[in-house]
Amino acid sequence: MRGSTEDVNINFERNRQWITQRLLQLRQRISLVSSEENCPSVRGKVCERAMDVAPELAARRDAAKPVPVLFELRGISKQFPGVKALDDVSFEIARGEVHMLLGENGAGKSTLMKVLCGAYRADSGELFHNGKPAEIATPADARGFGIAVIFQEFTLVPYLDIAQNIFLGREFRGRVPGFVDRKRLYSEARRMLDMIGFDIDPHTPVHELGVAQQQMVEIAKALSQNARILVMDEPTAALSDRETERLFAIIGQLRKSGVAIVYISHRLAEVFALGDRITVLRDGRKIASVLPSETSPDDLVRLMVGRTVDRTYAREYCKNPGDVLLEVKGLASDNGISEISLAVRAGEIVGLCGLVGSGRTEIARAIFGADRVTAGEIRLLGERIGGSPEDSARRGMALIPENRKQQGLALGRSVGDNIVLASLHKMFPSGIYVPGRASKTARAGIEQLRIATPSPNRSVSVLSGGNQQKVVVAKWLTADARVFIFDEPTRGIDVGAKAEIFRLIDQLVQKGAGVLMISSEQAEIVHVCDRAYVMRASRIVGELARAELTEANIVRLGMHQ
Amino acid sequence: MTAQAANTANAILTRIPGVAIALVALIAVFSMASPAFATLSNLQNILIQSTILLLLALPMTLIIMTEGLDLSMGAVLTLASIALAITVVATGSSALGLAAALAVGLAFGLLNGCLVALLDIPPFIATLGTLGIAQGLSLVVTDGQSVVGIPRALQQVYGGTFGGVPIPILIGIVAFAAIHLLLYRTRFGNYIFALGGNREALKLAGVSDRAMLVATYLVGGTMAGFAALLMTARMNSAHPTAGIGLEFDAIAAVAVGGTSFERGNGWLVGTLLGVLVVGVLRNGLNLMAVPSSAQVAGIGALVIAALLIDGLRSRS
Repeated sequence: MRGSTEDVNINFERNRQWITQRLLQLRQRISLVSSEENCPSVRGKVCERAMDVAPELAARRDAAKPVPVLFELRGISKQFPGVKALDDVSFEIARGEVHMLLGENGAGKSTLMKVLCGAYRADSGELFHNGKPAEIATPADARGFGIAVIFQEFTLVPYLDIAQNIFLGREFRGRVPGFVDRKRLYSEARRMLDMIGFDIDPHTPVHELGVAQQQMVEIAKALSQNARILVMDEPTAALSDRETERLFAIIGQLRKSGVAIVYISHRLAEVFALGDRITVLRDGRKIASVLPSETSPDDLVRLMVGRTVDRTYAREYCKNPGDVLLEVKGLASDNGISEISLAVRAGEIVGLCGLVGSGRTEIARAIFGADRVTAGEIRLLGERIGGSPEDSARRGMALIPENRKQQGLALGRSVGDNIVLASLHKMFPSGIYVPGRASKTARAGIEQLRIATPSPNRSVSVLSGGNQQKVVVAKWLTADARVFIFDEPTRGIDVGAKAEIFRLIDQLVQKGAGVLMISSEQAEIVHVCDRAYVMRASRIVGELARAELTEANIVRLGMHQ
Repeated sequence: MTAQAANTANAILTRIPGVAIALVALIAVFSMASPAFATLSNLQNILIQSTILLLLALPMTLIIMTEGLDLSMGAVLTLASIALAITVVATGSSALGLAAALAVGLAFGLLNGCLVALLDIPPFIATLGTLGIAQGLSLVVTDGQSVVGIPRALQQVYGGTFGGVPIPILIGIVAFAAIHLLLYRTRFGNYIFALGGNREALKLAGVSDRAMLVATYLVGGTMAGFAALLMTARMNSAHPTAGIGLEFDAIAAVAVGGTSFERGNGWLVGTLLGVLVVGVLRNGLNLMAVPSSAQVAGIGALVIAALLIDGLRSRS
């Protein structure tokens, strides 16, 4: 561990030139991107050339091959129930390169990295280390090859200090069995921290550190394990500009000393500022590996979008929307979202998209009254509402949450009980439960949505995901809801049931309801919605009308930074 | 006072742990309420009487730090005490008696650990079950009667002195030092922090989290065995209901001491102070002739007050 990390310890000055150059590029990209966005005409232009993937780009695939290859994944496939997460993906990592891994939500980036670090085993495919066949079955195997991963969820223990965290599980043995050689622990930790220029007392408890500092501890931990390949999953997601610069400087240092870095990112500016090579995944397939000098942000967006979508999702789009059912103005909540303004009209399916973590679910919760609203107003059917989920539900709003098992269903109860759950106060104003009336209402709901259950008395927990989703919708239909907010309605549902869920949502708007649909599947938004809002960093950054609603435009608005 | 001085005073005040304030306040109140409280012999009494609780509260801190709980400690102490008394009466050997008590403690520690770590039974349920088993066995073995005939030598463990210092206080100091070293200086101690703080990190570091969890409950059983020695010496006998409710006092002391039930945030000095708070409260209420049943209510109220105050302080 000790001798071989010496070469990492490189004078900061020697890297300064490289770093400065990269940061300059980064700034240029940022200004380029923001000026592009501010231009009012760009939306139309973007739309015109949205889906035509340049043929020469495909030809460029695999053009870039720096040597020597340190680690190679060849023909990796991985199947999960109902979805092919990776399909014949090959990926190389060269010594001293920063390899950017790019793709939309669900493109397969995380799965590929989990295969590399031993968390998953590929169904088929081969691994090579320095050209020799290698096998990675466990995280320990991956560590043996010098592969270290820094996940977005840190693997740090909050109430241990920095040194104890760096060497957790690999403590230096003291003279007395079981005891730790503390002198060595802190001096070695100091050495690791010096290597990345992190000037902090290694006795500091980790829970007192900010996100950026915790990330540095993770990097020091990886280096102490003699990492030669460092995988970073969206490392700048929670960092400020200054912290990002610092991180880039460290990455530059590591790169110079021969450490290979696989960098997963959603920020195109970063991709160009840092990357020596860029690999794009889509739908579990490798689309291209290109050099930054040979590509442009536009090219990359085109490579990333265009996921295959079931044609049956298409519907008759709404031409003449009715009255405004839901109107939100200048909304902010204590969950971080701010200046949110949107409207949903009768007969419309309105999409709400953006990257995971961009604040979509927070908007839904704030509108429904589940999070505290700190500014702005919400009008439902013209009347101002606000405050509690009970109030919203009574006045005709329904939230169908992402995690229906935890938040949308009483799993221990029957289908019938679940359907009448939100209407009990209306059906039985006296407070006395009449089983006959309840079961009649439940049967009507089952019939209307064609829920596949032999009887209303069947436990809801045995139904399929699609049918459970229908039970949640039936619950709100019974409660006379007019505005439905769907948060990730198709998550964990197989392809056939997906089409049915969309038919169901379509039925709702046909009957005069308004729907706000949150989805990470941009292709679904594009095919199903009449209109969509795009979010980034807890704000709405754009609205796309039906004619401009393309994946490329969503990615453009949601990703540029 | 200038504004700056006020700020500094405020900053210092917020750094003093709530449990220390509670201890000082209780001592002040009881000193005023009863002339018998603030005497040297009474304060020494409080320390002596608190050692049994300390021996349970120390390992309880470790177990709670792993996001666990051990409700069986009082009942295991009782059963260990009975095993000790029967062995001593039968063989006349105190060493064999202590060995029997430790064997009972280790057996239940292992059982608790296996139920929680290997079978994934929630600690509350698992240790509630072993509480019942240990309590039931105690009653069956003794037929509900006390085991008497403890030799004088054994009674000296509680009543005697060594170099002028009461032996229970010495045992308490040794136990505190041992658990302190275990938690803050050994690899196992690091892993206890990780069990509650980030179990995934521990697994990724290649450490068996299950083995470490079992070991933590084993520490609890062992300490209950030692506490049984003190309890038997103190009562001059073993009684099948002697330890009932001790786990309540132990958990209360840990909670009042500021150990959090999540994220592996524990503090042994806090637990020591928490034990003294419970000890002072019991002693003071005794002097004021408050019946022991009402004392339990007092401790309960204290726990809630301590957690409320800590919550308010951390928010501000």
